[in-house]
Amino acid sequence: MKKIFDKWIIYIILSLIAIPFLIMYIAFFAEAFSKGISLGIIPQKLSLSNFSFLWSTIPWGLEKTRIWGIFLNTFLFASISGLAVTVVCTLTGYALSRIEFRGKTFLLSMQLILHAVSGQILLIAIFFLLLYTKLLYKIPGVALARASLEIPLGVWMIKGFFDAVPWDIERSAMIDGCTRFQIWYKIFLPLIKPGIGAVFIWGFLFAWHDFIYVYTLLPGTVPLLSTLVQGLLATEVVDYGVIAAISLFYMLPPLFLFVFLQKALMKAPIMGGKGMA
Amino acid sequence: MMAKREKSSNMLIEGKTSFFKFNSHWFFLSPSVLLVSFFYFIPVALVFTIAFTNMDQLFNWRLVGLTNFLKLFTLKDPLIPRIIKNTIIYIISALPLTIIGALFISLLTMRINRTASLIFRAIFFFPRLIPPVVWGFLWMWSFEGTRYGVFNSILEGFGISPIHWFIEYPMLIVICANAFLGISLAMLIFTSAIASIPKDYIRAAEIDGASFWQTSRFIIIPLLKWPIMTMTAWHLMSFINSYVYIFLITGGGPYHATEVWALYGYNSAFKNYQYGYGSSIMVVLVIINLILLVVLLKVFGMRRMIERSRIEV
Repeated sequence: MKKIFDKWIIYIILSLIAIPFLIMYIAFFAEAFSKGISLGIIPQKLSLSNFSFLWSTIPWGLEKTRIWGIFLNTFLFASISGLAVTVVCTLTGYALSRIEFRGKTFLLSMQLILHAVSGQILLIAIFFLLLYTKLLYKIPGVALARASLEIPLGVWMIKGFFDAVPWDIERSAMIDGCTRFQIWYKIFLPLIKPGIGAVFIWGFLFAWHDFIYVYTLLPGTVPLLSTLVQGLLATEVVDYGVIAAISLFYMLPPLFLFVFLQKALMKAPIMGGKGMA
Repeated sequence: MMAKREKSSNMLIEGKTSFFKFNSHWFFLSPSVLLVSFFYFIPVALVFTIAFTNMDQLFNWRLVGLTNFLKLFTLKDPLIPRIIKNTIIYIISALPLTIIGALFISLLTMRINRTASLIFRAIFFFPRLIPPVVWGFLWMWSFEGTRYGVFNSILEGFGISPIHWFIEYPMLIVICANAFLGISLAMLIFTSAIASIPKDYIRAAEIDGASFWQTSRFIIIPLLKWPIMTMTAWHLMSFINSYVYIFLITGGGPYHATEVWALYGYNSAFKNYQYGYGSSIMVVLVIINLILLVVLLKVFGMRRMIERSRIEV
């Protein structure tokens, strides 16, 4: 009897903490798919009129903006960043996992140290760095700057995948005359496909979600989806329905990417140790 | 001994076949070393340099020595005491809220059945999955002062007039918004750590008649020492450094009520165009971070976390 009572108390406490958040989330969806809500969470009249930005323009101040150009820019930004993170991390992860060299311990701990001094507080310096190298206000330059933030943790992620590959495979490839680069390219990359996918998603997702770099380092005339949402919130007349709809549209692509890449990448060959070699 | 022999044999193999000599580790390392030094080390050097200049919006500058730092430390800037107070309040309330809240939630979700605990954890993990802008938008909109705000429109249903949340409790809103983001990460770490504790310990305690509180206090929390310490260090750093969510939700307002140190640095640089002064504020943060890092490295012994390759090649 006492046990059941305990359980109920736990449920009640958890629900009390969760309810404000549930209200927020429900209000968010209700607002996006209706013409206004009453009592916070009850949609008045279901409609898709908030999603009209998909085929017509967004009323943003005096300007008329179209979403698809912004979407493509965001996609470009996130892809460049994701690709940079993937290429750099797979190269470095291999060296850190398989090659002994002087300063390796230092390099590994460096990755942790670099993660502590965050890029946010170096933003002023990065602004001037990009200004002097003529990369400021250009999507590729800012995407690279964004990518460098994810490299430390990305390397740690992919190093685990490299560590899991049996050494026998590498040895036999070396005996057959592969160079390091060939081993990396021909042997390892096919074996660690799930890791590559994970790192790419990692880089893509954080660049897609990024706000402060995009807001500071790209000009106001080149909005990405994150700065668009913020810009709409900062205007005088705020239409929460449209913002909720755009936010929803903004949140979906990483989800699709994840589902799509997961299907493609989980078909990794099973590591069989000796059998494989 | 073994390692040495293997190394030489491998070099032999490579030496015969390798056409390019940059086969060595530098080929693999150079992209990350270049990118990281370009976007980390040069900026650190640059922020220290700009801090000693009076860089303005036209990017004209000359060296002004310690002027910026003197302005900062001799309280010539009337805002500084307020900013320091805000920062301290923010950190000492958000950090315990994050750690204790996450511990509390993960201890509670452990006791209920799987499906229910998954649902609750999903609700609390959601903030990590959505972009910062959307999280900021949710808070801005929910606590809006007019009757269009979510919570005000609920209050309206009960006949209570709208509350100006952002004017009356700006700091509280900012703290909660950040703490619940921290909770979502810490909760994930703590629940997985709790799940890895052998069930025997908890069962044995239960048989001895320990209550839920006693099991948590004397068995689970001592075993979670390591994750709790890492998460505390992690979130201490992120609360000191990050200002994005405050920037999005209140922008530091109303009247600097929620402006913390890092955000003040950002605003002085990109809102007031005093890049030199902003840099000097950020330099203080960089130094604080480095000191904190040295202390943490001493406490944790980061070297222990880095394992060497299993076989030397």
